[in-house]
Amino acid sequence: MTAFPLNDFDEDSPGRGQEHADGPVPAGMVADDEWLLRSQFSANPEKGCELLFRRYYVNLCNHAIRFVHSRAVAEDIVSEIFTTFWQNQTFLHVSTSYRAYLYKAVRHRAYNYLKWQMRFIAPADAPVHASESPSPDEALQYTELHQRIELIVRDLPAQCRRAYLLKRVEGKKYDEVAEEMNISAKAVEALVSRALSRIRKELSAHWVLFFTLFFC
Amino acid sequence: MKESVIRALLFDFFEGKTTSIQRKMIEEWLAEPQNEELYYRYLDQWESEHPQFAPDADHALAHFQTMLSGIGDEPVQPIGREPVGRVSRNTWLWTAAAAMITIVFGVAFQKQVLYKSLESAPGRTVSYRLSEGTEVLLNANSSLLVPRFGFSGSTREVILDGEAEFKVTHTAGHDRFVVKMGDHYQIEVLGTEFVAFSRARGKRVFLKNGKVKLQLPQGKQVYMKPGSLFVSGRDGAFKMTAPADPRPYTAWKEQTFYFDNTLLSDVAAQIEEQFDVRVRIPDTLLAQRRIGGIYKATQADDLLLILSDLMEIEITQKEDHIELTIPKLP
Repeated sequence: MTAFPLNDFDEDSPGRGQEHADGPVPAGMVADDEWLLRSQFSANPEKGCELLFRRYYVNLCNHAIRFVHSRAVAEDIVSEIFTTFWQNQTFLHVSTSYRAYLYKAVRHRAYNYLKWQMRFIAPADAPVHASESPSPDEALQYTELHQRIELIVRDLPAQCRRAYLLKRVEGKKYDEVAEEMNISAKAVEALVSRALSRIRKELSAHWVLFFTLFFC
Repeated sequence: MKESVIRALLFDFFEGKTTSIQRKMIEEWLAEPQNEELYYRYLDQWESEHPQFAPDADHALAHFQTMLSGIGDEPVQPIGREPVGRVSRNTWLWTAAAAMITIVFGVAFQKQVLYKSLESAPGRTVSYRLSEGTEVLLNANSSLLVPRFGFSGSTREVILDGEAEFKVTHTAGHDRFVVKMGDHYQIEVLGTEFVAFSRARGKRVFLKNGKVKLQLPQGKQVYMKPGSLFVSGRDGAFKMTAPADPRPYTAWKEQTFYFDNTLLSDVAAQIEEQFDVRVRIPDTLLAQRRIGGIYKATQADDLLLILSDLMEIEITQKEDHIELTIPKLP
């Protein structure tokens, strides 16, 4: 019987489904802009990870925040991905480009965070990476999901939106937001929770569709 | 499709400016596996051109380098970039979320906020390494709750439902490692290796080495020595033995079933636990037949086929369960 590798625990490693695809991408065609990274990884994985981090960290954070609307959470998600990438030695198993792997990982994690935060599909034990065979549609649906979130926030009443953005995205404290907006902290709290419940409500309507497309 | 065209099309799509017909076009283009690579390449380019905020990359990189060099290792828990500032900000967020959810879902939900669930699917074992170095091999169809924000205080506490092998690391501060098993059973150790089984039909602990303290219902306590086995049933009665052969308690690690004069009803229970399928034996005489041997099975069918050959029983797949019966003579 085989030993069970420790890297099994990357709960949403999206690259896994890819490993069964029709072999690696023809190197000359698409992945060649990562050849430097790849050669670095085979020579010195630690250095390779560092290069990868330098190259993609900022862009991945920027991508993550579109879903989670919080700087702190976005940065945590991306840092976590790089950490598991190194600790599970995922770089040995990635058959796609590192870029595709990382973007997919960010999307999966951001989605899981959102799902948890919005508490839409209630049970915590629902499978989080059921999409073993990624459809072409999946790549598009994630983009549409963050666009949807953006639209919902854009449609919030002005005060509500401002409080939400200051609190969530900037990560400010209630009294800091209150001072900036010249209202009471209580009022800020009410505005933010109104914004959140509005997002939750609107997203859940969208989510039913998203979820069924994804996981059924 | 020309590259410049698809690039423009994708950029429009990322900005939410495509028509549904164009979307269909992109979807068809994406069906070609190598185009997915291009998709992410353009997504990355687009992100470069449309920044949302400026993450503190230097700080994050410094943290990442520390992790690479192996000084701080925290695989399971989220890593906090700035231990002090970040925690307070995050805690705020979590607290707000927790408060909100508590109101909506009641106190019962608290567990999900404070703990993160590590799980294994039916028929699959999974290994995890916890933030302080403890290794856990989770048997199929089991779950382990670990603190979402890392262990705090002098007790490392996890909650087990199912079966798992623990290799607990001894911390510098001699922190206790506690496995809660439900029904007021819990295991307390400093640093040892043991296999714990916790399901509705009973609790079982097999200690490989080191020393273990068990907390039992009604405040009872027992200590275990290396090589000893603790078993308690549904009724709360327990016994402690020193089995000559540990294999029955560790066979699952090799996806193997170890039966030694085992009741068929017990075999059925094990199949249920391992593969999350329901197995019924309507004939009580059949249920009391016994079986021995070591069988490897990665799915329920493997084992059921062996059983049907060996014991000449008939296996029928019913709507929501599998039935084992004695075949009727023609």
